[in-house]
Amino acid sequence: MSHFLDRLTFFRKYAGTFSGGHGEVTTESRAWEDAYRSRWATEKVVRSTHGANCTGSCSWKIYVKGGIVTWETQHTDYPRTRPDLPNHEPRGCSRGASYSWYLYSANRLKYPMARKRLVKLWRAAKAKHTDPVLAWKSIQDDPAQRREYQSARGLGGFVRVSWDEAEEIIAAANVHTVKTWGPDRVIGFSPIPAMSMVSYAAGSRYLSLIGGVCMSFYDWYCDLPPSSPQTWGEQTDVPESADWYNAGFIMMWGSNVPQTRTPDAHFMAEARYRGTKVVTVTPDYSEASKFADLWLHPKQGTDAALALAMGHVILTEWHAKGRGDYFLDYCRRYTDMPMLVLLAERDGRLVPDRQLRASDLPENAGQSNNPDWKTVAIDDATGQPYIPTGSIGFRWGEQGKWNLEGRDARTLEVVTPRLSLIEGGATAQVTFPYFGDHAQPFFNPTSLGETVTRTVPVATQRLADGHEAKVATVYDLFLANYGVERGFGDGAARYEENAPYTPAWAAAVCGVPADRIITVAREFAENAEKTKGKSMVILGAALNHWYHADMNYRSIINLLVMCGCVGQSGGGWAHYVGQEKLRPQSGWIPLAFATDWYRPPRQQNSTSFWYAHTDQWRYETVTVDEILSPTAPRKLSGALIDFNVRAERMGWLPSAPQLAVNPLTIAAAAATEGKEVTAYLVERLKDGRITMACEDPDHPQNWPRNLFVWRSNLLGSSGKGHEYFLKHLLGAQHGVQGKDLGEEGRAKPEEVAWHHEAPRGKLDLLVTLDFRMSTTCMYSDVVLPTATWYEKHDLNTSDMHPFIHPFTAAVDPAWESRSDWQIFKGIARTFSALAKGHLGVERDVVLTPLMHDSPAELGQTHVVKEWRKGEVEPIPGKTMPGVTVIERDYPNVHVRFTSLGPLMEKVGNNGKGLAWKTEDEVAFLRSLNGTVEVPGVDRPLARIESDIDACEVIMHLAPETNGHVAVKAWEALGRNTGRDHTHLAKPKEHEAIRFRDIAAQPRKIISSPIWSGLESEEVCYNAGYTNVHELIPWRTLSGRQQLYQDHPWMLAFGEALCVYRPPVDLKAHQAMVGRVPNGHREIALNFITPHQKWGIHSVYTDNLIMLTLSRGGPIVWISEVDAKEAGIEDNDWVEAFNLNGALCARAVVSQRVPKGMIMMYHAQEKIVNVPGSEITRARGGIHNSVTRTVVKPTHMIGGYAQQAWGFNYYGTIGTNRDEFVIVRKMAKVAWLDGPRVTHQAADLKAAE
Amino acid sequence: MNRRFRILSALLHYPDEALRGALPEITAALGTEGFAPRHAAALARLCRRLGMGDLLDRQEAYSALFDRGRSCSLHLFEHVHGDARNRGPAMVALIEAYQSAGYVPDTNELPDYLPLFLEFLAIAPPALACELLGQALPILDRLHARLAGRGTADARAYAAVIAAAMAEAGATPQAKADPEDDDPEQMDREWEDVPVTFGPGNDPDRESARARVAAMIKRLRATRAAAKG
Repeated sequence: MSHFLDRLTFFRKYAGTFSGGHGEVTTESRAWEDAYRSRWATEKVVRSTHGANCTGSCSWKIYVKGGIVTWETQHTDYPRTRPDLPNHEPRGCSRGASYSWYLYSANRLKYPMARKRLVKLWRAAKAKHTDPVLAWKSIQDDPAQRREYQSARGLGGFVRVSWDEAEEIIAAANVHTVKTWGPDRVIGFSPIPAMSMVSYAAGSRYLSLIGGVCMSFYDWYCDLPPSSPQTWGEQTDVPESADWYNAGFIMMWGSNVPQTRTPDAHFMAEARYRGTKVVTVTPDYSEASKFADLWLHPKQGTDAALALAMGHVILTEWHAKGRGDYFLDYCRRYTDMPMLVLLAERDGRLVPDRQLRASDLPENAGQSNNPDWKTVAIDDATGQPYIPTGSIGFRWGEQGKWNLEGRDARTLEVVTPRLSLIEGGATAQVTFPYFGDHAQPFFNPTSLGETVTRTVPVATQRLADGHEAKVATVYDLFLANYGVERGFGDGAARYEENAPYTPAWAAAVCGVPADRIITVAREFAENAEKTKGKSMVILGAALNHWYHADMNYRSIINLLVMCGCVGQSGGGWAHYVGQEKLRPQSGWIPLAFATDWYRPPRQQNSTSFWYAHTDQWRYETVTVDEILSPTAPRKLSGALIDFNVRAERMGWLPSAPQLAVNPLTIAAAAATEGKEVTAYLVERLKDGRITMACEDPDHPQNWPRNLFVWRSNLLGSSGKGHEYFLKHLLGAQHGVQGKDLGEEGRAKPEEVAWHHEAPRGKLDLLVTLDFRMSTTCMYSDVVLPTATWYEKHDLNTSDMHPFIHPFTAAVDPAWESRSDWQIFKGIARTFSALAKGHLGVERDVVLTPLMHDSPAELGQTHVVKEWRKGEVEPIPGKTMPGVTVIERDYPNVHVRFTSLGPLMEKVGNNGKGLAWKTEDEVAFLRSLNGTVEVPGVDRPLARIESDIDACEVIMHLAPETNGHVAVKAWEALGRNTGRDHTHLAKPKEHEAIRFRDIAAQPRKIISSPIWSGLESEEVCYNAGYTNVHELIPWRTLSGRQQLYQDHPWMLAFGEALCVYRPPVDLKAHQAMVGRVPNGHREIALNFITPHQKWGIHSVYTDNLIMLTLSRGGPIVWISEVDAKEAGIEDNDWVEAFNLNGALCARAVVSQRVPKGMIMMYHAQEKIVNVPGSEITRARGGIHNSVTRTVVKPTHMIGGYAQQAWGFNYYGTIGTNRDEFVIVRKMAKVAWLDGPRVTHQAADLKAAE
Repeated sequence: MNRRFRILSALLHYPDEALRGALPEITAALGTEGFAPRHAAALARLCRRLGMGDLLDRQEAYSALFDRGRSCSLHLFEHVHGDARNRGPAMVALIEAYQSAGYVPDTNELPDYLPLFLEFLAIAPPALACELLGQALPILDRLHARLAGRGTADARAYAAVIAAAMAEAGATPQAKADPEDDDPEQMDREWEDVPVTFGPGNDPDRESARARVAAMIKRLRATRAAAKG
């Protein structure tokens, strides 16, 4: 029977089931879907990125609706790459994707805040003094008032204040400090300007205008590898991540690419698809290991042993056997290996000394200009010594011969230098230092003796003084140092031999089986030979944060250089650690350091500064004897800080504060005696009536008084020796457990005054700008709310990709926050007003070290002589810091802040030792930004009122973003090298990138001589590329890659050549064993602090969503073996402590971690879920609570070619991996949430 | 205008000189604007407290309570969405609600700032005010519990404002004083995950997987039975 009439023809029922009941139609409301639909129906989409310490520099779309940021997604419109190269996107990571919440988070800093006790004192003082500067003075003059607010630092107690009041407090403090103590007592710390360069420049411009000090960060973070300036004269230059794709063989060594370079990691995956072999080297089974074809896991801190053994294999199988023409040719042309080294008699032994110079040869070998700074090689055809062009002596004082064309400087003929003297037949026994025996038991000490003596081919050279000297090439010494057998019978004939630096020796030290070492070395070199250098090593913080980081790095650099990989596309050294690549650097410097108004600015190396001013030196446990070489030329004595003081006095390192007097008073004092200022100062320094501040850092005259921190979480993240900061710099509650040298009765420094009582609370005022209440904010006196990354206009560049892109203000700054640019402009305005009556036009005496990339880098050669000891005359800029008198116009700070000063037209611009005129660009900026009349300047100046104005100044002055400037800069370089390089920028000459251009789409920058790679459509950016392919010298002594370091201090500390140096013994944990028992077992572990993925890179770890992906609070990782030994179970609360302090965290017990190691991810703050310590009885610390800075003398060397100081270029580094801690389970977890009676205070009371 | 909401809004805002100046007026109004005597008395205590001693001390207490951290945040969506992305769209929706009633926020505060929200309730049509307040009640209840649980006099005084606001919707605080982060045992329980072990018989999802399969089979059988019928 038909059911036709029952069936509908045109309708079906709007409900029911289908697919056999698996699907169902319902009539419920679908209005909820509107939320998803309307999420995308935004009013505008704005391009921005995430700044502060992240090198990702990823382009993001920010969706805005009703003035509210609703959403963010990755932008996918990067300019395309060429065929056969993967595109850059998608860029971005979970950290960036969870950023938008920050704008509206409860943790957002919403109003200017100040410490209540200070506000109370301030208002009372203001009631008495109408002049705010006098009000501030009255508080500072009363130790009780000062102590009152200082002691409350870190303990809460903030109130909101108005912007006017905050600015007034800050400006009054600054005026008072400049007037009373000197402008160099006003200090500013902000890191990594490449990520939001205008925000950085805001603070540094203000500081530079008032004569304050800008602090370095790259060295302090221990991200600067000093081996890079030592070898290349370059701070750090690396391949962009796209170049990984071009490599044939990659070693990923101590660098966790997927975790810390997340947006770039796809290139690693793509390289593997292309067939690139990947070897990962990490002690723990890190995320990077998943990329590996082979995972090597040496014991942490012994990486140099592994790399040296690989070098041993390559030198043995290729170099010693004459195999690999490519390698040998590369070493001849691009390294100092053919250069001659003098051999010196010492204690009856022959040891390698400095490199031979033209000045050593009769009649300076025909070189009248800088003969001390020209190295010598032997002509392979004639066997005669000659002076190759390109060494640093050719860089200054003459033109046209500073190149790597390989010519004899006298004949200008191209000459082949002789690499090895082995054919000559003469040899000598040469002694090299060996440090492997002096390791702590944990690091597998050997017993092979303090020195190694090897047969080295030599020649005899008659010197200018008539005597005959033995010389050897760097190449022959280099092979001997590696223990390579060359037919003399005293090298390591077999890899199984236990001698430095064979694979068997390395296996015993680092734990990697010898056969693995041999295989990897062979494959690495074979690939490099076949591909002409396409072997690459990506390396990172796991290697670089050790005291002897230089050896880890140089051992790897040696591998790359001996295989001809540096400067070759797809090859080379890829150091990705906190690297800052401020691409438009020379456009930014005038803005950032106000060199458009005054030159030079005051800059300081942070490590030495914090070491001195947080009094970490008072607790030093490492003596110079422990690290000196057994072959040291003469006994060097003193404490580590003594070496720093000597370096400062000789102009090697900068100083802050500089002199033990207010530098504003010197010119007047000179005038009363009718003397020229510099001559007066030199005379006073010589007779000791004026001293340098570094000789007495604890004297109140020499304290830093005002500190600005912006774009940084100094106290929650990067402050090594955190508890010493709290104790001495801030005068706050602290966890220091150790006693100082005085209390311990140990030897005190020779050059530094000792105060029985160490200062507590040097800083008068700590001001922090942030968008969240960070740990640093908690310790600050005034906290200023700053705009987030979606609320301001700024610029961002990275070395991971070649694009420049913007921050743009998607919305106005929320609550009362303001951009950094606005904030410092406001402070400048108030400062100018308050200065009147206290400061006018003042003459400021500025000291400057012997700067790298300036003629002063040829400061002191051969021997170290100190004017302070009467060994030499004090000559500014030569044997002591340079002296400049600057006239500062204090009442006009604001108007100068907001205009482009006249020096850009009068003097021009410069970068990396190259100078060019820039009138056209300044004229353009006048018409673009408009002009402003400035008192005392005869013509209107370009305005820099807004942050966009500032962006335009940077981009128009910089060669990387303005083709005209790029051509000028290449022309300037061409005058030095005698070669035409302008073809590298000519095709882009008329390109000038403006702010609105990059807001529309990220733009690829223009090739410039500031950097050593090219931005081209043919090759990816790779460091050293223009040195190799344009024959531009490296900025080193020899002009080549400098593998032999011959400064007297390098020789003294045994690091002329790369050697194996085990981690140093910091002696901070043994004394704490059993000191404060809690009933649980204590074990000692090596403390390692890698970068994490649950915080916003290294700054913020208070994102609850990301914390929820982990354990929700501070964690440490330990091995199953150690956990079992200490009776610790997963997720137990444990405490790690030593003499430096203590920290509390939950334990993650994991197979990933090797025995003997405790890992705590960097920058877990004490503001999220941190209980009280059983040791310090204060809140349980941060990762840096158990660290202390230890400085290394070789990093203090200055005035010596590539080893000359530059801001973030060279200097002491804040190492932290050699540290050990005692770890144990906590007995009682106290949250300290009661009323604010501190436990330490309670103890004190009980004691009374 | 419902001046009770206006008063609650004012009292919950940062205690500045302006608020101090207005305290006599507010105190006077407490008795005349129709607050229940219990609430009027509690609010009067807050007013007295705000008027006492150094204003900086009151500001410090306020900042410690409300300016930092999420537990006592005065931003409603902090308690609903926290750091999640939905917060943006939620705020947009709230602004639209204000606009459709003819008002635009004229401040640098966010639309979900409780004093701002309360002020809107003062001027909104009573029905809308009632509806919006009703939606916010669970948040207010929680906030009240946390303030009451803080154990300081200032926190208790502010809790009274929340209680008075809840009373406008005829509600009284229900949640007990919230121990929030103070109890480590509780926190451990909240954060604890089920340990993962591997191997047969140890699949943590096994039970639930079995249950899901069972439910699927049951539904299939029911469908078949229905088709046959």
